[in-house]
Amino acid sequence: MAKESFESGLSWEVRANSRHFHNQKKSLLCFGWGRYADNVLRSYKYSPLTFLPLTLFEQFQRAANLYFLLMVVMQCVPVIASVPWYISMIPLLLVLTVRGSKDLINDMARRRSDSQINTRPCDILISQSFQSAQWKDLCVGDVLRIHRDQVIPADLLLLYSSEPHSLCYVETADIDGETNLKYRQAAGATHSELTAHPVEETLAAFDGVVLCEEPNNRLYTFRGELHWRGECHLLESEHILLRGTVLRNTEVAYGLTIYTGTDTKILKNSGKLRVKTTQTEKVFNFVVIGIVVTLLLAALLLAIGSGVFSSRVTGHSNVLVANGNPVYTGFLAYWSYIILLSPAMPIALYISFELIHTVHSYFIGWDIEMYWQQADRPAQARNTSLNEELGQVEYLLSDKTGTLTQNRLLFRQCFVAGQIYGDASVRAEDVEPMDLSWNPYSCGGLYMSAPSLVEKLRFEQCPLSRQFLTALSLCHTVMTEWKEVPPVYQSASPDEETLVGAARELGWVFLSRTRDFVKVSELGVTRQYQLLALLDFTSKRRCMSVLVREPEGGLKLYCKGADIVILERLQKDSPYQEWTERALELFSQACLRTLCVAVRSVPEALWMQWSKTLARSAAMATCDRDAVLEKLYDEMEQEMQLLGVTAIEDRLQEGVPETIALLRQAGLKVWVLTGDKKETAVNIAYSCKLLDPDTRLLEWQELRQILQAPDPGANFFKSRQMELWAVDTNTAGAKTAVVLTGPELAEFDQRPEWGSTFMSVAEQCQSVLCCRVTPGQKADIVTLVRKHTSSVTMAIGDGANDVNMIKTAHVGVGLAGVEGGQAVQSADFALSQFRFLQRLLLIHGRWSYKRISIFLRYFLFKTCSFALVHIWFGFFNGFSAQTLYEIWFIAMYTVLYTASPIMCLAFFEQDVTAEISLKWPEVYKSGQRQELSSPLVICLTLLHAVYSSFVLFFIPLGVFHNTAFDYQTMSVTVSMAATFTATIEIMLVTRYWTKISVASLGVSVVLYFIVSRITQSRFLFERSPKDYFFIGTSDKAFIDPVVWLTALLTAWTAVLPSFTAHALSVIQTAHDKHKVHSVSLQPTQLKTNFRRATSLRRSSYALSQGAGPGRLISSGTCIRSTAPPVDEKMTCSNNLPLSQGQTHTKDYNSTSM
Amino acid sequence: MMASSYSAKDEDGHITVTGPGGAALRSKKPENTAFKQQRLPAWQPILTAGTVLPAFFIIGLIFIPIGIGLFVTSNNIREFEIDYTGVDESSPCFNCSQNFSWNSTRPCTCSIPFSLEHSYENNVFMYYGLSNFYQNHRRYVKSRDDSQLNGHLGSLKPSKECEPYAKHDNKPIAPCGAIANSMFNDTLELFYNDPNGTKVLIPLRATGIAWWTDKHVKFGNPGDGLNLTAEFQGTTKPVNWRKPVYELDSDPLNNGFINEDFIVWMRTAALPTFRKLYRIISRRDNMVPTLLRGNYTLEVVYNYPVRSFEGRKRMILSTISWMGGKNPFLGIAYITVGSVCFFLGVVLLIIHHKYGNRNNSADISN
Repeated sequence: MAKESFESGLSWEVRANSRHFHNQKKSLLCFGWGRYADNVLRSYKYSPLTFLPLTLFEQFQRAANLYFLLMVVMQCVPVIASVPWYISMIPLLLVLTVRGSKDLINDMARRRSDSQINTRPCDILISQSFQSAQWKDLCVGDVLRIHRDQVIPADLLLLYSSEPHSLCYVETADIDGETNLKYRQAAGATHSELTAHPVEETLAAFDGVVLCEEPNNRLYTFRGELHWRGECHLLESEHILLRGTVLRNTEVAYGLTIYTGTDTKILKNSGKLRVKTTQTEKVFNFVVIGIVVTLLLAALLLAIGSGVFSSRVTGHSNVLVANGNPVYTGFLAYWSYIILLSPAMPIALYISFELIHTVHSYFIGWDIEMYWQQADRPAQARNTSLNEELGQVEYLLSDKTGTLTQNRLLFRQCFVAGQIYGDASVRAEDVEPMDLSWNPYSCGGLYMSAPSLVEKLRFEQCPLSRQFLTALSLCHTVMTEWKEVPPVYQSASPDEETLVGAARELGWVFLSRTRDFVKVSELGVTRQYQLLALLDFTSKRRCMSVLVREPEGGLKLYCKGADIVILERLQKDSPYQEWTERALELFSQACLRTLCVAVRSVPEALWMQWSKTLARSAAMATCDRDAVLEKLYDEMEQEMQLLGVTAIEDRLQEGVPETIALLRQAGLKVWVLTGDKKETAVNIAYSCKLLDPDTRLLEWQELRQILQAPDPGANFFKSRQMELWAVDTNTAGAKTAVVLTGPELAEFDQRPEWGSTFMSVAEQCQSVLCCRVTPGQKADIVTLVRKHTSSVTMAIGDGANDVNMIKTAHVGVGLAGVEGGQAVQSADFALSQFRFLQRLLLIHGRWSYKRISIFLRYFLFKTCSFALVHIWFGFFNGFSAQTLYEIWFIAMYTVLYTASPIMCLAFFEQDVTAEISLKWPEVYKSGQRQELSSPLVICLTLLHAVYSSFVLFFIPLGVFHNTAFDYQTMSVTVSMAATFTATIEIMLVTRYWTKISVASLGVSVVLYFIVSRITQSRFLFERSPKDYFFIGTSDKAFIDPVVWLTALLTAWTAVLPSFTAHALSVIQTAHDKHKVHSVSLQPTQLKTNFRRATSLRRSSYALSQGAGPGRLISSGTCIRSTAPPVDEKMTCSNNLPLSQGQTHTKDYNSTSM
Repeated sequence: MMASSYSAKDEDGHITVTGPGGAALRSKKPENTAFKQQRLPAWQPILTAGTVLPAFFIIGLIFIPIGIGLFVTSNNIREFEIDYTGVDESSPCFNCSQNFSWNSTRPCTCSIPFSLEHSYENNVFMYYGLSNFYQNHRRYVKSRDDSQLNGHLGSLKPSKECEPYAKHDNKPIAPCGAIANSMFNDTLELFYNDPNGTKVLIPLRATGIAWWTDKHVKFGNPGDGLNLTAEFQGTTKPVNWRKPVYELDSDPLNNGFINEDFIVWMRTAALPTFRKLYRIISRRDNMVPTLLRGNYTLEVVYNYPVRSFEGRKRMILSTISWMGGKNPFLGIAYITVGSVCFFLGVVLLIIHHKYGNRNNSADISN
């Protein structure tokens, strides 16, 4: 049997209660590994032993660090040491220490959060009793006991639960973002066999063997077999409880551990931890490599020069130190020059870079406007090396549930009998609460103020509105859980829960249901309706109905559904038709989700006939049955009378529409990726201003045609113009949005060539909505965008289902909502509210990008212009790699004399203030175009640096040529000029002069003079004549007018090009900033006329799964035993629910007749 | 001159939340300080054409006069230069330059007549100039022992840097190294040919030509400097020298390592063509020029070989000004850069008028 299973791919064998079997380890040398992973989460990287080697290994993977290590080693060779070794050792050590300790701190944090998860408690069955243990102790094959509201620690096979039929409910919010409950059911065999008491013993004796698939990342499928007592039972995903889900509404469930730790489906879904580097850093690494190659080349040429010089001049003279072989001389000179030119490769850059990133991250955390009072949680930059990427984001991929929406549905308005109750223009929090004290079941949660409606209801003024509420309290699939009054409603659809809740507040309290009866308290009067039939919801029908017999005996069909469906099934001359249209219009403008509620009095005769047909068709073969049933339902749902319209607000997170509008203005493309269903996603997209009311949706059929077309782009444009968009061709491109679902996306796997076409279409579109996608697919979409565009992507989400996408995107943002989020753990930035994104991107991101790109360019300029001087000097000293500076100047230049002003700039620079950044989001676009860090800009900077180095050498050369000035005076002059150049350049780029920047500028220039005086002082010379042999030079040079005049002239000439460029940009180009100051933008109010006309109504009914849970209700399987005791005990062993229900009805009929 | 906006923003100060019962339950709320909220008061210059363009003209207008001033000053300096290498056969030093060896015992002398067109006022400085002499070559510059030169003969083991001029005949060389070894050792004497036929030796001052710090701090004789012969016992003279270091001068304050000629030589030049101060001709009194207009003879004891590296030797007489010796380059450079700035200003002005007008409104805002 096992062999067969292997052939069918079921090779993963789990033996219940057999730890020994699963702990067998294969071992090689002293390393061992088992086939089955343990349940310990390890996201940390270092252990005390491996920290040092690993961190060094990681750090020396950075080319720059390795390069500098080589430099230090080379400087220890005396023959080629043009600069003493300690000059570059100090910065290198500094860089390594800072980086290493940062990594260490991060790793400690990871360890802490790991151990938090690993020590969560769970109950494991060990030798016939459950013992409490920790998650990390769990093994494959263990039997577990899970209590209500516990998080499931591993992927389990549900064996048995305390509920009837071994049903149990799980919340999968961490996996797919849906907060409604899903049911899981144990296999029939285990349910019936393990029920015996005491449970421990039967479970301990359980010796089934599960054969199933190897661990994989497919969340919604599971294939397996249970071999037990010589029988084979098929297992499906319905029997599986996934790690990370939460057990709800179920007292106790018992499960057999199948996959643990890294084998679990959720962890298989979370991608590998990848180190993220920013685009700017990539460009920059490229530049650094370019510089190194150039330097090696320059050193080679200089070395050749040295060889030639040595053969021509020194060969004939013993004035100079001659060393025979010119080739050998050249060889030595080559290495000397590499050392000498190495300061052009900015090592301090990386450390400064990290420092700046860290400070920017602190600024993010310090921003009081990104602090959320309610949770006492400021924003947090968890990854401190991606800040400037925030200023370049072009694609924002957002989760829906918990990110855009609060996942709270509120009953805001309703339309009954020609009257609209409630006011959606008032914010839900500001709604004046109604006096519902007369209602003992009221427990708040109604954000609608309609005293007139209550009055009508209570004093029986309007029968229509009473019927409306009866419909709401009857027509649903909600279940009740009685713990105390009022009952808790549990539903597969959050919409229904809200409607039933609203009805409860208004006096129509749904009390309980059995398979055949629904008990409702209408304004205190308890009435029992007989449930004759439940016409279930499918996404095709878009409505559901219940057929009930009233206590008085009449038959009523209550129906609720999408407006198009309901309105066409109404009686011909029903009243308020025009008003209804108007109300729907108004609700949709307020971004509310609407449902129409209707009623039909069914004649007894029709019912008799219909029920017979129903019974016949229910017995039919499964394949045809659905179609027949649908037709049958259609027949019944006719000639209805409209009762009213409900309007539900899917609560958006605070400020979401404003933020999205702002981000769109800033040139970001916002995509929504959600595990939720299409209707909900589209609805939310409209209500959060992601789609304009007149945006057209491009769905799969159409998109597929476009993708398959030979020339997709043209086809797309054509199709757009051909159709209704001929009216307004300009906006046609922006007014389209693509809607996709998970299964459709799966087709992309087979057709990789569609990717680029799809992206080119998507780029034209306003947005892309992807619904019903798995976490893995979310990441695939991010990968798709990354692959086919060069843009920076950002993913934002709050749940574990977003982790993968957050890790894949360039920048991942985790929302730590009220409940705290799993996503935060793997995110680069943690925010409390979606709306904080606008500050994070438009202010912090933009500033960071601006600051860092200015910083990088300036840094390149200052180091290159300073170090390349040696190339020119080489032509005048026989290519001997003589330094032009005092060695201490080389060491201090980057660290002391020029570091603090640029750091100040990198910390504080603001070209425009925060307010203006938000007011004119367009200024953000320069980051998306990478205007400040493009290769061209960097090349220009390098060119300027080369020019400056040229000037820095040749003007002093002209002055000092054939004069009595000595080498040391020239050194001081050139270093002074270099310091002045760097200082003037920073003054030119600084636009935001704080006291600190002024002070640091002054201090660093003064430091140059002071430190020069110190290193050239008598005191130090007397201690070590060899290291401080410049003694007295600065004393003399600093009072020499020629030195000063030369230094000033040189510095000015060196910065003249950049000064001119700045002036030119001020004069000629209309700077973004100037636009900001001058142009007053007219908001796009002009379109409003058009908007009304094409406004689409959004009426939908949200259920998470394809078909509603009507089957369970009518079969009675899911009716809870905790219902009020008055209820009759139900016997639930029937598999044909409808026919059963029908027999009951017949009985009822016969008795009543 | 500059449009500016000074944005001083309110500063609310620190806010800390203390929980009930006095226990400091700190809220995680960030402090509302100007620093943390990035609202530091700052001066934000708004650059406009009106502020940037004048800068070019102003800098041009500053630089050009400075340049002219420097140029005029430089031109007022009297300078006379004569090449005595003896490359030409007609040159009086031709013979000396031909039969050269560092260690020849018989000094070769030659005398070069020249005439000064103008009389030289004030102190006149006498330089020797060398060309194509790479005194800035790394291995040459390195080849010295500052510790030894400071008077620490100590262990008699010169620094390794001095190799291969560290030891000779197993004795340490003092002063060691290539720089010292190649010290300039021509002797120059200046005679004034009086119109009445007599040659008058012009007194040359050999002291005061080195830097004070060099003479008093950087260089020092071993011991108390009184009995140099004894102090330098156990060392040997550099290979190319004719006499040991303690016989450079009879004046004990100008002998040994603190000999000023030696110090001047040891202060290496920046570039391959350089001059070094040799002697000073002091002004006698205010009435008579230091050097009269007329004919002179330069008597050279020709010891220093330069032909091997195609070098040249020159003697320069120069007066000085506040900016030192003659230096036309600096003045010209200032004038050039000043003019370039001016020119750029004009070009930008034209561009501004041609293209920039439509942005005028933008410039004025805020």
